[in-house]
Amino acid sequence: MPDFSLTPEQESLRDLARKFARTEMAPHAQECDRTPRFPEEIYRKAYDLGLMNLNVPTEFGGSGLSLLDQCLIVEELAYGCAGMTTSIIANCLALEPIILGGSSEQKQRFLTPFCQEYHLASFALTEPTGGSDAGAIRTRARKDGDGYVLDGEKCFITNAPHASLYAVFATTDPAAKHRGISAFVVPRSAPGVTPGKDEEKMGHRASSTSTVRFDGVRVPAADRLGAEGEGFSVAMRTLDQTRTPIGALATGIAQAALDHAARYALKRQSFGKPIAEHQAIQIKLANMAQSVHAARLLTWHAAWTIDRGAKGSLESSIAKCFASDASFQVADEAIQTFGGYGYMKEYPVEKLLRDAKLTQIYEGANEIQRTVIARELLRGYA
Amino acid sequence: MEIVVCIKPVPEAETRLRPTADGTRADPDGVKFVLAGYDESSVEQALLLKEAVPASKVHAVAVGPAPRSEEVLRAAIALGCDSATWVDATADTADDGLSAARALAPALAGLPHDLVLAGKQAGDRESGVFAAALGELLGVPDFGFVTDLRWEPAAARFTFRRATEGGVERWESPVPCVIALQQAWNDPRTAKLPMILKSRKAPIAKVAAAPAAGPSIPVKFELPPPRSGAKMIEYKTPEEAAQTLVRLLKEEAKVFP
Repeated sequence: MPDFSLTPEQESLRDLARKFARTEMAPHAQECDRTPRFPEEIYRKAYDLGLMNLNVPTEFGGSGLSLLDQCLIVEELAYGCAGMTTSIIANCLALEPIILGGSSEQKQRFLTPFCQEYHLASFALTEPTGGSDAGAIRTRARKDGDGYVLDGEKCFITNAPHASLYAVFATTDPAAKHRGISAFVVPRSAPGVTPGKDEEKMGHRASSTSTVRFDGVRVPAADRLGAEGEGFSVAMRTLDQTRTPIGALATGIAQAALDHAARYALKRQSFGKPIAEHQAIQIKLANMAQSVHAARLLTWHAAWTIDRGAKGSLESSIAKCFASDASFQVADEAIQTFGGYGYMKEYPVEKLLRDAKLTQIYEGANEIQRTVIARELLRGYA
Repeated sequence: MEIVVCIKPVPEAETRLRPTADGTRADPDGVKFVLAGYDESSVEQALLLKEAVPASKVHAVAVGPAPRSEEVLRAAIALGCDSATWVDATADTADDGLSAARALAPALAGLPHDLVLAGKQAGDRESGVFAAALGELLGVPDFGFVTDLRWEPAAARFTFRRATEGGVERWESPVPCVIALQQAWNDPRTAKLPMILKSRKAPIAKVAAAPAAGPSIPVKFELPPPRSGAKMIEYKTPEEAAQTLVRLLKEEAKVFP
């Protein structure tokens, strides 16, 4: 039988994240969303407490947490503010290509500084003309002596204006499509690297998102991750690892929406009694609770599967896709429970809907997740 | 300096307590016990002293049943305590302050200590007896309601203040001594994730408590009565609301003349 109980260590990690989310993040969430503001002081505090770079192995100074441990933390952080959580966990996404594709010398050189001092890094894959179709990226890497010259533009890059390091995917041979892609580590300080201005976003407004231009950026061959042409594989294996925590992030938003709705329903009176005593609201709350519970269990299961050494593409795609759709629906129902007040920015639930929306899009749009699920599924019938 | 800090697992602040089936006490089943309140302040004070006085060590001790005692000791190690001792006792024998002091005194006698710190009272029973009882049992000076605790290396003494009803007292104490701290005059730190991981692997010395029945016997545990309905003030303007509120506070609640 599966055992769903957490170890005392996991409960301690979750308690730490919960306390941080509720005392340091949540009180500033509304202000950072409205302004919008990138609260770097909060990210530094998260770093100081060890809540960043959760995936970096212990030999390079990280915590080397299991994916399930990471998910427990990410869910709690997202309960406090999903946008801040996106910025806090962006380092995990940016450093994962180095963890998976880097040599031990590269890991030592690139990962260790992140565990010694606060730095941000960005994962730069998506381009203006290619998001889901990652094989179609146009950023060029031209061989030049003992290295490469990068030219192109990336977009929707989390933390880009604040990052000191970018994991960049570029093609040495556009005709070869995904087989022509290589992964590079590029410092912000390299001449020709220009992050754009912060995008105005619908949600996750405490996070920072921009384009990054690469104009004749010289990258030594020593900073290429893996062999030439292995970049697409590195990117896909990275997303296999980081997709599940997005399910956890979505679950955190959904749990917050459910908690707000249930508390409000017990207080708000209509027709002479709390609306929680009306069956119409009870049914809503019951459906929301089912969605949150299922989202959490699917996320835990995907993390458990990957922690046991399996690839977990099917499980992580199901978890991310289900949890993010559930998150959007639960936030929607929370607004409906609040009625007119739910539509007002003075109340916390409309932000949750805007934040939940992104979880259906980023780190592999849910259409891509369903494509992966169907492909894995049909393989079993062919 | 060898600092011993005494901590007690208490129910998490948000816990909704229920009486046991026989109604004599709060039911610990399903309750999350944590390091909280007064004890967080005393652990913080111990760590501040350790940081201020070179070559100091902080040793956390707790008396009580498993696993809650072990959990708060691990929490103390995660905050920066160097070692921990758990005096294994059932809730029946050691839940009151005097029993806890009797259970801990023999364990403390075997530990080097220049200073024994405690919160001013346990966050659950709030009797405020433990530190004074421990001081008497160890035969060393003990002080309660202490703030602004400092170590004066030249004089080899502690200096501190005690806030009393009429004013502030300044005191000095030789070593060793037992000090119960006033709460919240420091800002307790949060344990960092790597320290939490490390604390899980730290050894905890276990000592069996001498079996002894507590001197006090709990008879009944009752929840506070449900709050009666709030009074809503009817008003047309904010001024009218304020005037009505002031009148009610004076005439009905009698909070000021």
